[in-house]
Amino acid sequence: MTDLPTDTILSAIADRRAERRAFLRYAGGAAASAGALSLLAACGGDTGGTATPTPTPTGSPTPIAADADVLNFALNLEYLEAQFYSWAAFGQGLNPGLTTGVGIGGTVTGGAQVPFQDPVVAQYAREIANDEIAHVTFLRTALGAGSGGVGAAVAMPAINISGDANGAFTAAARAAGVVGSSGTFNPYADDVSFLLGAYLFEDVGVSAYKGAAPAIGNKVYLEAAAGILAAESYHAGLIRSVLYRKGIDASSILYNPAILNNARLISDARDSLDGASDTDQGIGDTSTANIVPTDSNGIVYSRSTGQVLNIVFLNKAAVTAGGFFPNGINGNIRTSAASG
Amino acid sequence: MTARTDIDSDRLIAALDARVDRREQRRAFFRDALGAMAVTGALGLASGASAQSTPTPTATPTPTYNDQDILNFALNLEYLEAQFYAYATTGAGISSSLLGGAGTAGSVNATGATAVPFADPIIARYAREIAADEVAHVTFLRNAIGSSTVVAQPALDLSVGANSAFSAAAVAAKIITAGQTFNPYANEDAFLLAAFIFEDVGVTAYKGAAPLLTKTYVEAAAGIMATEAYHAATIRGELYRKGLVSGSPLIGWVQGISDARDSLDGATDIDQGITPGTTTAPAGGVTATPTPTPTPTPTPTPTATASPTPAPTFPVSNIVPADANAVVYSRSPNQVLNIVYLNAAATSAGGFFPAGLNGTIKAATAS
Repeated sequence: MTDLPTDTILSAIADRRAERRAFLRYAGGAAASAGALSLLAACGGDTGGTATPTPTPTGSPTPIAADADVLNFALNLEYLEAQFYSWAAFGQGLNPGLTTGVGIGGTVTGGAQVPFQDPVVAQYAREIANDEIAHVTFLRTALGAGSGGVGAAVAMPAINISGDANGAFTAAARAAGVVGSSGTFNPYADDVSFLLGAYLFEDVGVSAYKGAAPAIGNKVYLEAAAGILAAESYHAGLIRSVLYRKGIDASSILYNPAILNNARLISDARDSLDGASDTDQGIGDTSTANIVPTDSNGIVYSRSTGQVLNIVFLNKAAVTAGGFFPNGINGNIRTSAASG
Repeated sequence: MTARTDIDSDRLIAALDARVDRREQRRAFFRDALGAMAVTGALGLASGASAQSTPTPTATPTPTYNDQDILNFALNLEYLEAQFYAYATTGAGISSSLLGGAGTAGSVNATGATAVPFADPIIARYAREIAADEVAHVTFLRNAIGSSTVVAQPALDLSVGANSAFSAAAVAAKIITAGQTFNPYANEDAFLLAAFIFEDVGVTAYKGAAPLLTKTYVEAAAGIMATEAYHAATIRGELYRKGLVSGSPLIGWVQGISDARDSLDGATDIDQGITPGTTTAPAGGVTATPTPTPTPTPTPTPTATASPTPAPTFPVSNIVPADANAVVYSRSPNQVLNIVYLNAAATSAGGFFPAGLNGTIKAATAS
């Protein structure tokens, strides 16, 4: 409690100032043309592939895709999250009826129930699992898994959420340096491992939905996507703050001071996978919390679909499969960006 | 939590049951969405002014506003949040260079406001992080709006006293009774409750505003919304963790605030506390929703030993306030005004904004 709040705040702001300038330069230029284009923009005219004045503070420009393509892209990610949390919280995967659809259906490799010791973490895990299952259900319905909708929902592709030595989590943890080059990272081993596994996904989901938001033409689906974005942000804020407390507060259940460094390593790994821009942040250090990963404007980062795929494929090159999706994802958006 | 393995399926069912009562909302969404698709299909994909009149899943129909209107509306709310967190963390407000603009400039009634004497350094750090983010939002919005149209900070009530906006909100939430004082700066529990009053409102306000903005600002607004949601989750998670301590009234008080917001913003149920409600109570008769305790203490200073009540346990938490689709709620600007004015009726001022907001969005109709 001896730190100086004002200094802390000011230095945190100063660190991010350059990014703000970059954004405002972009937004200012966009605003100049937006006067003429604002009606067109309100018309959802982006669906035709015209130049959009959207300022994307970070990330490479996203190719314009139809709403259904964007929602199906999101559905692939929700399959991954829902399977991970459902296994971790309940010891079982998604109902098979929720995984059918267009494209090449796959199975889940791995997954196990976490032997939670902290009942609060177990309760959080169950809440998040339910939310992710609801997101799968919602997107499938929106896409017309039953009837109506904007297009056919894709099937769940093959997913690797294994906690063994050959699993995608271990590959991610080795790349991040959370474990050694022959070590194993099992996110189902205990509470803290689960939280780190969840942390690996959550901010990616947030930045993916934020990056996709301007590409959605239908206002109703835009608002729904914003609502899913917000839910993922609540999840991410919760996971990050629980990790922070367990990494700092020696009186907390399962206190583990290695958490802060591991969170930073995972953030750095995501950042190196998705290209040169700095679009990721750890959870802070022993004097300052950093629950919200934001730019200098207090605005959460965006990732393009290609950058998101870099992370879930665990590959900075332009590829169509790998990591958590060993056979790739289903739908029209399926190739990662050439980010390195 | 000992008999984990044999009751997990019960918990799964119970947790899923919690969403059952929201099923109607899912149906309503698709009725709206598919109706909108029919309209846009006829007009070409998401075309023209019809997109502006697309029915939103919640909230009353909103008049058409331009980007400046919406961003200035958001700026009023960011002034409120930034000043509150600045006083709570430093005992002083934000720089006066960030306050000027069009409209009626007002000052902050900060009588009695002091830096919160945080006992837990981690909560103090969270408060400082949030304070920095809110100042950044004020700065960003002011630059985005531009100096020719940006609105000034209106008068704000962040004071401590029996007639303060915080006390009025706490009375509505049944945390205190009329005539008592709720001091959000008294301790970290009070601070967390006060932050809770604001945070989810900010999230729902940005979400409701997102479809009203042109493409130029959708992504930035989505990014600010996401930041507010990280904040809200941090606050809600801390309240939940602390509320599970035996004898703590926090969970009931949070429910009281949520209920108060819900009664201010109209008939729809678009707000939730931090527990899922009675439908998911585990076997054993634990009451899942402690009734809001109208404890007649001047400030909410829960003492962990005050009551022999066992710590409440829940199969699931409810950190995310969301509908059956796990989609976070929206509020129209009008509904947001009802809450910050602390008045469900038609009004243009009150509560935290004693002289009203600046800008074109300031008059609330009855919700």
